[in-house]
Amino acid sequence: MPTDSEGRRRIVYCVGEERTLRDVLPESEAGALLAAASRAGLRGVRVVDPGGKTLWGSGDDVPPPGEGDPRRPILLEGEPAGSVVLPAGAARGETQDALLALLADTFAAMAHNNLKRMLTTETHTEVVNRSYEELLETNRSLSASEQRYRELAGTLEIKVRERTEELSRAMAQLVQQEKMASVGQLAAGVAHEINNPLAFVTSNLQTLKKYTERFLDIIARYQQVFERGGVVQQDRDDLRKHRESLRLDAISADAGDLLRQTLEGTERVRKIVADLKGFSHIDEEGEAPADLNREIDRTLSVMTHEIPAGAAIVREFSPLPVIPCRPGAFNQLFLGLLRNAFQARQEELRLTIRTGVSGDRIRIAFADNGPGVPADLRTRIFEPFFSTRDVGKGKGLGLTVAYDIVTAHGGTIDVEETPGGGATFVLQLPIQRGHHDQIR
Amino acid sequence: MIEYDSEEQRMVLKFVYYGPALSGKTTNLLRLHDLLAKEGRGDLMVLDTKDDRTIFFDLLPFFLVAPSGLKIKVKVYTVPGQVQHDATRKAVLQRTDGVAFIADSRRSEAKNNAESFGNLERNLAIVGIAIDKLPLVIQYNKRDLPDILPEEEIRRAWGPTGFPVILSSALEGWGVVETFRALAERAYDALDRRHDFAGTHGLTRESFAERLVRRSG
Repeated sequence: MPTDSEGRRRIVYCVGEERTLRDVLPESEAGALLAAASRAGLRGVRVVDPGGKTLWGSGDDVPPPGEGDPRRPILLEGEPAGSVVLPAGAARGETQDALLALLADTFAAMAHNNLKRMLTTETHTEVVNRSYEELLETNRSLSASEQRYRELAGTLEIKVRERTEELSRAMAQLVQQEKMASVGQLAAGVAHEINNPLAFVTSNLQTLKKYTERFLDIIARYQQVFERGGVVQQDRDDLRKHRESLRLDAISADAGDLLRQTLEGTERVRKIVADLKGFSHIDEEGEAPADLNREIDRTLSVMTHEIPAGAAIVREFSPLPVIPCRPGAFNQLFLGLLRNAFQARQEELRLTIRTGVSGDRIRIAFADNGPGVPADLRTRIFEPFFSTRDVGKGKGLGLTVAYDIVTAHGGTIDVEETPGGGATFVLQLPIQRGHHDQIR
Repeated sequence: MIEYDSEEQRMVLKFVYYGPALSGKTTNLLRLHDLLAKEGRGDLMVLDTKDDRTIFFDLLPFFLVAPSGLKIKVKVYTVPGQVQHDATRKAVLQRTDGVAFIADSRRSEAKNNAESFGNLERNLAIVGIAIDKLPLVIQYNKRDLPDILPEEEIRRAWGPTGFPVILSSALEGWGVVETFRALAERAYDALDRRHDFAGTHGLTRESFAERLVRRSG
């Protein structure tokens, strides 16, 4: 079957090919008809082609037809495609003429009908073949395109995986930055807190330095007098005058106060540093047993400077079992939730921190009397980058960090409405954890 | 061309009536059959139809003899217009010597006309016939109906193509013979270039067309 360069079958069937009588009339049909005509009285009748050559005969033993023998044309597509001929020696007459005409018309009708049938069949077959070829072609191209899409889908999955990993890394980095920023804010406050005592400790030490110089001065005088070997009235007067000029009585009284205050200052700094250390658990790697009540207090102690003026912080603590956890991470969590509460309201803030055990879980609630969280946003506020603050005022990661810490511990965090208005963040933490949910 | 046997002095040509479904292709052939003299033509062969729609094709043969003795047979075919019979259209279009594109004049049929003409262009390319070399005439049929494209609009659209445009009502019987004649004349020009009809066969354009469109009665 001829095909083109792309392997498709070329169109080869052409409607309109010329046909001869032999093409459209089978021997059996023509022979039977001629035999019947012979029996009806046309003895020796035959069909000849336009060139005069015999196509079919009746089978009678008669001589071949001559030029002058009576004949009738058989029309095919309006043209004579041959003739029926009554050869010499056969009976002739009106009846035979009529029969001959009838025979010619019968042949023409048979040829016409056969031609129609053939054309119909050929076209039909062509259409069916063609449709089949086209279906095969369609199937081939569909398979090819399916293959392409399959490959695309395959690489798409890889691409999506790569992008997802990139996003996860970027997200982890942002969360880390958020934690750092949160601690940075704390550090700024703590620095301020340390600066205050440090300032007066420095000032006191400078004063004490001057005092010390005077004490050394008078001591030197006494030493000179003793080395000369005698204490006469003159010496006593000189020493008294000098003591008075140095105002030693006054500064002696003051020095005690200054030293006490300075020690108080350094004690304050020491405590702040100790609190910070306690808050950060900087010396502890991984998990350590912790009393969360104590951790909350530690966090509160490093955040004193962030508590709005006039705020009431109510600690309704029940004794909690010591649980193994990463206390540094939990303090980061408490820091975030406390800071959230401190920012919820500037004046008359009331924050109730309630801890307790409920079943096999520790339950810790931070209830503020701020504006609260609308019900439809309560599930969304823990999503990364979700923020109700203006663009640039927050990354929307604060609560995501909290969520991550809690879920890593196998716990849950939810927000509810505080009776009377406000938001209550509720942590529920398992007292005993399975091995499968170790903290990240 | 279907066949040319120079020894037998016989040539068989093919004309095709193309166009969208129900634009009047078969009606054109019926009218030609009625209007033209019996001597120059055969009978109309209508292959099976369904609900008045051609599903295979129709054939009307014409005959003429050139002064040289060359016997010329012109087989005029219709194609089925419905989209799904595209394979049949290609088989009919194969080796054609001329095409009459029968368009439906109604405004509502403009899109079908355009699609069918696009189909003709594609199928001609597939069967290897260059449309700019093919004798082609355009008939805007059904001029007897309301809401038809005005003549100026048709002429403006087809003018630049150079294809002759004939308006007709096959139903009322006018414009049909003119279309056939125009197609015959265009086909003659192409055949004359290849087979020297005028010189070798003494057949002029005028007599070729005249012999094909001899009216009856």
